[in-house]
Amino acid sequence: MRHVPTVALRELRSLFVSPVAYGVLSLFAVLSGLFFSLYVAAFNAWMVQLQQFQAFDQLQELNLNDHLIGAFFDNVGMVLMFLVPGITMSLYVAEKNNGTEELLLTSPLTSWDIVLGKFAAAALFVTLLVAMAGALPGLLFFYGEPEVGKTLSGLLGTLLLGWTYVAVGAFASSLTRSQVVSFLICFVLLLVLMLLPAVADLGLAGAGDGLSAVFRWLSAGGHVQGLIQGLVDTADLVYFAVMIGSFLLLTRLTVDSVRWR
Amino acid sequence: MIEVEDLSKRYGDVLAVDALSFSVARGEVVGFLGPNGAGKTTTMRMLTGFLPPSDGTAQIAGHDILEDSRAARRAVGYLPETPPLYPEMRVEDYLAYVAAIRDVPRRARDEKVSRAIERCALKEKRSHVIGTLSKGFKQRVGIAQAIVHDPPVLILDEPTAGLDPNQIREIRDLIAELTSADAEARQTVILSSHILAEVRTICGRVVMINEGRKTVDASIEELTRDGQSLEALFARQSASDLGDVAVSREVS
Ligand SMILES: Nc1ncnc2c1ncn2[C@@H]1O[C@H](COP(=O)(O)OP(=O)(O)OP(=O)(O)O)[C@@H](O)[C@H]1O
Ligand SMILES: [Mg+2]
Repeated sequence: MRHVPTVALRELRSLFVSPVAYGVLSLFAVLSGLFFSLYVAAFNAWMVQLQQFQAFDQLQELNLNDHLIGAFFDNVGMVLMFLVPGITMSLYVAEKNNGTEELLLTSPLTSWDIVLGKFAAAALFVTLLVAMAGALPGLLFFYGEPEVGKTLSGLLGTLLLGWTYVAVGAFASSLTRSQVVSFLICFVLLLVLMLLPAVADLGLAGAGDGLSAVFRWLSAGGHVQGLIQGLVDTADLVYFAVMIGSFLLLTRLTVDSVRWR
Repeated sequence: MIEVEDLSKRYGDVLAVDALSFSVARGEVVGFLGPNGAGKTTTMRMLTGFLPPSDGTAQIAGHDILEDSRAARRAVGYLPETPPLYPEMRVEDYLAYVAAIRDVPRRARDEKVSRAIERCALKEKRSHVIGTLSKGFKQRVGIAQAIVHDPPVLILDEPTAGLDPNQIREIRDLIAELTSADAEARQTVILSSHILAEVRTICGRVVMINEGRKTVDASIEELTRDGQSLEALFARQSASDLGDVAVSREVS
């Protein structure tokens, strides 16, 4: 696994000469900026309203973390769901279309060099996005007193969510030769992951608590919520590690299947 | 340097390579000939570890391609049928990347890249973006990536495709240079081609296959000794699927 950085670096360089990277960066900046200002405006309006009605109890409870930053991070997660497939769609598809798959697989690189290198490149890019998003709540520290711990754990949750999306997207890209198909597979998988708790609620009410609990566990939503609320629970961290690890393993299997088809 | 033992490859019902055996000694340049669809690319893909054989095996520089795949891969420089290029990269960055993943130590990389660039006459293009190069230059970058790490074994799938006659001559000289070095650094080459004139001048020996089976394995001298041309032999050996009419036309 000596060559993980070699593979990752090449991938990043290619990403940064492609219009996709800059498209995603600017779209993300615009969307997160827009959502953030909407949440700030809504928070202000709410505060003014509560003051007018002299609802001091509720005013006491209103705080920047639970009523602004948390909601904003939720939203960033949604935005990532649309943008990450755009970043990951070409990871393996481009190698197959360039014919460079043949170069990679006939070089002494191991499958893990390739799989981890590509994951690292896209994950770094997503880290850049999340850092950009994190700067916005950072502004609030000049005007109010958000809790540092809660803000950071929310940021961590968003980052882990983004990395999970990257692992899913890399897997999707390893399955096909078309960027569009790769994007769609990734998006559908992420959608399924998100909707699992709803499925558990709807159809499986009578089908046993076991399955329904599994569905709920598999969905990222609950695990991110914990972190956004400031609860850094090992169980949630394990969830992200398991998801990322499983999709990387699946990707490795598909990459190898090209070799042993 | 290369020992191929009963190598077979089956794609579904198609037997693309059928129990192929041959061996290549150090420093030899072997021309791998056969009509379209004979199984040349498939054989090379198995030797380089890209495709698994359905049956049989091979040794490259003493390493089994199945048991000791990484060591075998490390010993090979490979030019696939379509040069494996990243269109958005610059020539020198691309070659440095290939050198890195081919386990060339960091200290030696710059020098090896410059040498490959020089040998493939790419000096003027070294900082060009690969996607903007002409077909012939892309092919040369493909050859440069195959030799950048000085591998003991070179496997070249139609190395002169897309090159003009001058460039073909340069490639021929390059291969001659690679294989004439002193005993230790000498490279062993298998190259496939359709251009018989080229095979005659570059290669010392010919392995001809047709429908996955070996039909000829002899030195160029032996083959052309009694005045017959390589063209006639090629036509005769690939006759079975072309029909007699086509053959007699080729021969006459
Ligand atoms: N991926 C594949 N799936 C199914 N069949 C294949 C595949 N690759 C090659 N074949 C078949 O295997 C046979 C040998 O093909 P191969 O590409 O090795 O021939 P070749 O000698 O390199 O031909 P050419 O001179 O045209 O390059 C052909 O019949 C081809 O159709
Ligand atoms: Mg071929």
